[in-house]
Order: sequence, then structure tokens, then C-alpha cells
Amino acid sequence: MTDKLVEQIRDALRVVIDPELGYNIVDLGFVYDISVLDGAVRIMMTATTPGCPAIHFLREGVANAAERVPGVRSIDIVMTFEPLWTPSCIEPVVRASLGFAAVN
Amino acid sequence: MIGASISRWTMSYFAMALAWLFVALALMVARVGFPAAHLASPDTLVLVHVVCIGWLSLAMCGALLQFVPVLVAKPLYSEKWALPALGLLTAGLVALLAGFLGLGGRLPAWHWLLPVGAVLLTAGFGLIVVDLGLTAWQRPAGPARFVLAGLASLCATVTFGAIFAFAHAGWAGSIGETILASGVPLHAIAGLGGWLTLTAMGVSYRLLSMFMLAPDVDDRNSSWTLAAGVFAITVAVVGGIFAIWLSSGLNAVLSVVAALGLATIALYGRDVSGIFRSRKRRQLELNTRMAVLSFVSLAATALLGVLLILTGAFAAQVGAFVFLVVFGWLSGLVLAKLYKIVAFLTWLETYGPVMGRAPTPRVQDLVAEERASKWFVIYHMAVWFGTLMLLADQAWAFRAASAMMMIGIVGIIREVIRTRQLADVQSPLRLPDGACAPHLLFARS
Repeated sequence: MTDKLVEQIRDALRVVIDPELGYNIVDLGFVYDISVLDGAVRIMMTATTPGCPAIHFLREGVANAAERVPGVRSIDIVMTFEPLWTPSCIEPVVRASLGFAAVN
Repeated sequence: MIGASISRWTMSYFAMALAWLFVALALMVARVGFPAAHLASPDTLVLVHVVCIGWLSLAMCGALLQFVPVLVAKPLYSEKWALPALGLLTAGLVALLAGFLGLGGRLPAWHWLLPVGAVLLTAGFGLIVVDLGLTAWQRPAGPARFVLAGLASLCATVTFGAIFAFAHAGWAGSIGETILASGVPLHAIAGLGGWLTLTAMGVSYRLLSMFMLAPDVDDRNSSWTLAAGVFAITVAVVGGIFAIWLSSGLNAVLSVVAALGLATIALYGRDVSGIFRSRKRRQLELNTRMAVLSFVSLAATALLGVLLILTGAFAAQVGAFVFLVVFGWLSGLVLAKLYKIVAFLTWLETYGPVMGRAPTPRVQDLVAEERASKWFVIYHMAVWFGTLMLLADQAWAFRAASAMMMIGIVGIIREVIRTRQLADVQSPLRLPDGACAPHLLFARS
């Protein structure tokens, strides 16, 4: 049941995009972890650049998308830059379509 | 603080700056100021200050009000000071220009307008320096150090300018007269080299890294670039004042400054090349491609400066040299980044609040790069052609180049307005439920 809810939340988060890269934050690898305990959701996520003015909106967007999933009672979002996001976090198919160089 | 908020008045600064750039180009097309008039003529002073304060400084201040909090991941010291500063700077510039027009006999000779303009400009820049300085000082590392050096140079520039203004009005005594007679190169170096160039370099490090997903420049590398630049400005200001005091002439000081300036440009070129080489994003957006053209102008500036010094023609051709610095390097970079910043902030303002509730477009959907690129290319070609015509002393051909620049700028302004109006965003993504169209001249936040 919990695993199913996690996947439903992950799917819901695909409506949130990184405005600069133009892809959803799930495939870009911004979502580090989603955990659920009795409907209380904790999402650990990141962004490309600390200090970027988009971060506040990404965080709000994730909260907005997650709260629409049935079974979610509360949401706690943790924004972290450890580890730092790199393009290697992107799904390979998306990475190729974005024209990224080979990632070390 | 993890994310900076949207600067409410950055768009207002950009709009005012672009309006002044249009005024400057109109003056050039109308043959007001250099090369139709002497470099030190009141008409040229009008033109130079419209470009350097009205266009470049306002655009730089607007960008920094948004960008310094991003650099240091701290909120701006005071958002409330941004609009009063814009008002003071605009009023001060208008008074200064009226004073210059009075010097040239185009307006009544109300020389008191010059000190009034200087006081208003000092107050406006003072608010900006304190606001940005206190913000950047919270984490003085990486590109923020360049901004702090730029702000210190701005203080020196404004101080020189204020002394000149009071001296023109006869209120600065014999010391003021002496500084006015010899100190103009120091004022120009502190403004163009320190305030505008060092700040532009610092901001470009971070913007290029962000938009190309490249690692930040190693502080150990950029420290050498900054040290060379700061040393150049320090020698110009401190050494220059001593030289004026000793009545020894500025040649020795300016030679050292030129050598240090060349070293700064070379080191900056190394740093920027490193960012391009290490970028993860292979396809370059328009703003980056057009920034490359401004880097070409910066390299051309260095080469031109060396050639003019070696041939003993620098003093005779300083107008062409400064033209390339101002319109090729500084304006080229500012225009490229302004185009991107407007799109990015417009996206945040419009679509940020509805993220997670509705599908949203990408930042790139707000712009039409293919259509916009021709205006940038026209602008840069015109700048290079204009530089050559100044060197060849072809005033009429230079006027044609100015007209071409104006066409390019009008095209770019039109693109920026279309971005603010979301004119290139296709329905149904253009305005999802809950989204508000942005105001043209300020952010609604």
C-alpha cells in the first residue's frame, strides 16, 4: 500500500518541471527520496543551483502536486544540496534528448 | 535561505535602461557628441553619461538586485531601497545632463544643476552600494567578490564625478579644478574598468555556469583575475591621485594600468574558456552565443589597445577604443544576459505560483530565439563596423553604423516586450488557471 502511494506521488510530481531544463523534476533526478508513514509524506529534493529564485516555486509546486494524491494527509518537504545535483542524476533517455555531454 | 525571491523592481531598471540606450543611439544618429564633437565637449559628456549611467549602470543595478541574493544565497538587505534609488538615479542623471547642456550653450547656463545632479546620483548609487554591499558581504566568496570590487570602484567613480561636477560649478576650489583638469581618465577607468567590467565578469562566471551546467570557476583561478583587476583599478585611482598631486603626469600610471588590464582580460579569457570546455549542456542558448560575441569584442578591445599604444595612436583613437569597450563588450554582454533574465523572471512570476497545479511551459517557450538572433547579430555587426569607421575617421559611415545599432536595439526591445507579454507562448499553456499575466514594468510579487 505504501509503495503504491509513493509511486502515485512520484507520478503526480511529474507535473512540476524545472523551467530552465524544461523536463519534469522526477526524470531530472531532483527527487532524492519519498517516504510515507500513515499518510504523512516526506519528500527530500534538490535543484540545480543553491540560491536560485526558482527553488521556492519548485518546493511549492511539489507540495501542490503531492497534496492532490488521495491518501496524503500531510507533506514535509526537505530541500537539500547534499549531495549536489549533477546531470548524471538525469534519466539517460532525457539526458540524451537534452543534448548533454557524456557525464563523468 | 535556500532560494532568492523575485526582485520587484528589476524590470523597472531594465525598462529605464533600455529607454536611455535608445536615447543614446538617437543622439549618435543625430550627430550629437563624439565623433561630430570633441571628446571633451559638453555634447559628448551628455552622450557618455546617458550610456554609462542611464543604460549600463541602471541595467547592471537591476540585474544585481536580483542576482546578488542568488550569488550569496541570502535575501537582499533591503528590497525597499530599490525604487527610491531608481528615482534618485534618474533625477540625478536628468539634472546632470541639463547641466552639461548648459555648459554647451544648449540650455541656460545653470551650472548649479551639475552639483545637484551629482548629489542625487551619489544618494542613488549610495543606496545601491549599501544594499548590495551588505548583501554580498554576508558571503564574500566566488563571483560575489567581483561584485564587491565593482561596488568599491563605483564609489571611486562617483567621488571623481562629484568633484568634477562641483568644480564645473566653481564650488570645488583649486584642488577640484586640478582634479578636473587631469583626473578624467581615472574617472573613466574606475567606471568602465572597475564598476562595470569587474562586476560584469563576476556575474558572467555564475550565469555562464548556471545556464550551461558547468562547474563554478575554481576560486583559486578567479582570485588571480580579480587580483589583477583590483590592482589595476587601485593603481589607477590611488596612483593617479598621487600623480596629479605631484604634477608628474599620468603616463606612467596609465602604462601600469594598461598592463594590468591586459593581464585581467587574459586571465578572464582563461576562466571563461574553462567554463565552456567543462559545460555539460552542449547546445548553447541565444544568450550564451551572443555573450560569445561580446567576449570577441573584449578580446578585440585588448588587441586594439595594444596596437594603438605600439603605434603611438592611442590618444588620437581613444574614442574608437572606448566605443568598442562600451558597446561591444559591456553592452553586448548586458543585452545578451538581459534577454535571458527577463524570460527567466517572467516565467517565475507567471508560472511559479501555479506549479504543481497545472502544466506549465518552459522558459524557452517564452522566447523565439531564431527571430531574436538577427537583431543581436545586426547590433554586433554594426558595433564592429562603427569601430572601424571611427578608426578610419569616417563620420558619416559611423552615423550609418549607429542607425544599424538602433535597428538592432529596437528589435531586441520588441523581443523583450513580447517575452513580458507571453506573446510567443502557445495556448493552452499560456495562462493556466490561477496564473496572472505579468506587468510590463515591474514584478507583481
